[in-house]
Amino acid sequence: MIEVKNLVKRYGDFAAVDDLSFTVNDGEILGFLGPNGAGKSTTMNMITGYISATEGDVIIEGYNMFEEPEKAKQCIGYLPEIPPVYPDMRVREYLNFVANLRKVPRKERKAEVDRVMDLARVDHMQRKLIKHLSKGYRQRVGVAQALLGNPKVIILDEPTVGLDPMQISWMREFIRSLAKEHTVILSSHILFEVNAVCDRVLIINHGKKIIIDTPEQVIHTIGGTDGIYVAAKTTREELAKILSGVDGINNIREERAPEEGVSACSVFPKEGADIREQIFKAFSSADVTLLEMRSETKTLEEVFIALTGKEDAAC
Amino acid sequence: MLAVYKKEIRQAFTSIFGYMFLAFLLALIGFYVYQINLKQEYANFAYPLNSVTIFFLLLVPMLTMRTLSEEKKQKTDQLVFTAPVSITRIILGKYLALASILLIAMAVISIYPPILSKYGAVNMKIAYSNIVAFFLLGCAYFAIGMFLSSLTESQIVAAILTFIVILVTLLADTLKDRIPSDHVISFLVIWVLILLLAIIVFFMMKSVIVATAVFAVCGAANAIAYFAVDKALFDGLLTKMLGWISLISRFENFRYGLFDSAAYVYYLSISSLFVFLTIQAIKKRRWS
Repeated sequence: MIEVKNLVKRYGDFAAVDDLSFTVNDGEILGFLGPNGAGKSTTMNMITGYISATEGDVIIEGYNMFEEPEKAKQCIGYLPEIPPVYPDMRVREYLNFVANLRKVPRKERKAEVDRVMDLARVDHMQRKLIKHLSKGYRQRVGVAQALLGNPKVIILDEPTVGLDPMQISWMREFIRSLAKEHTVILSSHILFEVNAVCDRVLIINHGKKIIIDTPEQVIHTIGGTDGIYVAAKTTREELAKILSGVDGINNIREERAPEEGVSACSVFPKEGADIREQIFKAFSSADVTLLEMRSETKTLEEVFIALTGKEDAAC
Repeated sequence: MLAVYKKEIRQAFTSIFGYMFLAFLLALIGFYVYQINLKQEYANFAYPLNSVTIFFLLLVPMLTMRTLSEEKKQKTDQLVFTAPVSITRIILGKYLALASILLIAMAVISIYPPILSKYGAVNMKIAYSNIVAFFLLGCAYFAIGMFLSSLTESQIVAAILTFIVILVTLLADTLKDRIPSDHVISFLVIWVLILLLAIIVFFMMKSVIVATAVFAVCGAANAIAYFAVDKALFDGLLTKMLGWISLISRFENFRYGLFDSAAYVYYLSISSLFVFLTIQAIKKRRWS
């Protein structure tokens, strides 16, 4: 369990992290989202004890990071944005060093290194120098390192950046499998990834918490009412006229015509109203062919842009 | 601590630097032993060691430049400083690894005096107290080098800074006899030093207020000591101050066969001071 309480990090007058509080429960995967520069890495660096906080507390498995750092750090495996590997070491040698550093008892060290190499699938690379490994394999060695000593909490800072699609899908599956035994925080600026992997999402911007909830709930509560996309074989004017006869419409947004002689728009009904049937009947009574009608659910992407401001999300 | 220690030793000898350091140091000592002890037939083992001390200028940065700067540059410090080991232990592990590498060279040269004694009377007490002093001098320079490496991300900058600082400690002894040392000059030089201190404080804390406060407090203390207390305090102060930082002048005594335990204490203090400063520099980095 991870508890973050009123965490603040200031650099001079600039607050990189501003009064951030949240809790991650046992066995949960928390997705940590925000545009670049939102304070994700800074927060993670504070949770892992790499940098200190200006104010606030981080409590890992009951140990306060700033009061009992060694006990708290023992519970955390951390993969920073750039895998912390020594290029001039061999994979096995490196993992042995980390196991030793993380106080894995000497007798269990070999078995433990074998275990994490197997999990991260780097066992066939164990004799290679890390500088000769590809980005994907370095990332895996970084993952293996974070698992050493089987820590309760695993923190991954943008684990899929720079990986190819195959490796990304492996990494996602792998992170999911971690949740059985570990509490995971995973940062990303790729929304799809968070949606696919995480139990809950925390969105921050400019160091402040914007929302924390399940991905579905985030989309639902902030996304507003779902729209209905309508395309019919008619002119824009005709389309607007037909729709104006339907009750329960909040507003209508024109969409780009999908093909010649077809008009389209998005219809936003009033809160809670299901007007699909009425729309169908209205077109049918006007004898206009309705080519397409589908509900549009907002993606996390749109929610994210809406929440963090357009220019921030451009990255 | 042991994990970091072992890693540092192994890294020194998987890269070229560990071998270069040992080869260079042993070759130099060997050369001077051959020149002075064998060829010119001086029985004193202190002379060759004394001649080698100047090469610490190149030898020390070779080993210390990467100790902390490289960790920071490659972001491996994120691993080391999030491990369940205290910063003090990590720094001590690194420092002891450096000292151990020098110790290897000392072990090798420890067999020279008995070999030399086959050809004449060698004063073993002078020889071994010199080897110990040489080792401790090296350790003091390592501590300084490690501290300077903790201040920067660049190996090159760390190496150059270490070179300059060691050069100053080597020249201090020569310099102190050649500078004017009346109280006016001392008073002014102290002002310059206070200004330098304030500038360093500014760059470390990024705060004009703190830097100004440091400058004001130290400046006031300086002025009070000069005008209100006693001007005689400042007579020869510069010479004394250069004496404080002259690591090498402590080594000279051993040459004449004097066993100077104060020098041992001095070297150990310098080592402890800079190891402590390194720990503080790393701790401070976490705060800014």
